[in-house]
Amino acid sequence: MAIPNSENGDSAAMVRGGRKRKRRDAAPEPGHRSFSTWRTESIEKRYSSKLLEALRRIRNDAAEPRGNGAVRDAADRALAVAARGRSRWSRAILSRRAIKLRAVRRRRQRGMGELPRSLPHPIERRRRRRRSELVQKKAEELGRLVPGCRKVSLPALLEETSDYIAALEMQIRAMSVIADAVSTAGGSSVGLPDRSGSPSTG
Amino acid sequence: MSSRSRITEEEINELISKLQSLLPDQARRRGSSRASATKVLKETCNYIKSLHREVDDLSDRLSDLMASMDSDSPQAEILRNLLRS
Repeated sequence: MAIPNSENGDSAAMVRGGRKRKRRDAAPEPGHRSFSTWRTESIEKRYSSKLLEALRRIRNDAAEPRGNGAVRDAADRALAVAARGRSRWSRAILSRRAIKLRAVRRRRQRGMGELPRSLPHPIERRRRRRRSELVQKKAEELGRLVPGCRKVSLPALLEETSDYIAALEMQIRAMSVIADAVSTAGGSSVGLPDRSGSPSTG
Repeated sequence: MSSRSRITEEEINELISKLQSLLPDQARRRGSSRASATKVLKETCNYIKSLHREVDDLSDRLSDLMASMDSDSPQAEILRNLLRS
């Protein structure tokens, strides 16, 4: 599927005004690979291994409170790692915990609590008024759902969303396989379910 | 003049279209080739929320399964095999 990428934009800009457009984001666009990247068997395997390692750690770590949040957390971090730093949402997930830990530590030191809250940059508001209010409102809601995307531009948000959705679908596939395998084992002594029967395709 | 070129309406529509193609079939019931941007964004939000719910459910399920497992059970062996393969 053809996706507009920065290279075309660069040459178009050069034709227009002879100005070289600076590539603000050095990392490759996540949207390029959405469909194929998250649907390969290798990435699902890689993800499953990481998740299983994390699950084992959770199980063996008696000090960790056995809340359901631990598994969800581990699943999300493993997903972010699988993205290999190519997307904003994945970097946001990985820094999530670090930010929370820093905030908790700071709170303990100061003795009062207030998590850092970021406000939208004032310039952003001016730019927004050019687009339909309703579209902007919906886009903001979307930005709250995709990690780390509250303040990004609309095109960047849409790219991140495409990648994020593909990743979530892979996460669900992988976790379903693991959950089915483990629960099947509990019921009978049969081995693993046949992986070719799983919904993931290469 | 900002260093970023102005994003055209056309580019936005293209991205919205691409987003629409990621949504499950139910969200495209009328088979409209170009649903409004607002509608696509709304459906996308709903879809992501439902995906999050699925991940939550699976996390709960895995949590429960792990809680009922001990190191010698067959489930633990299955987990170890999954890790090796």
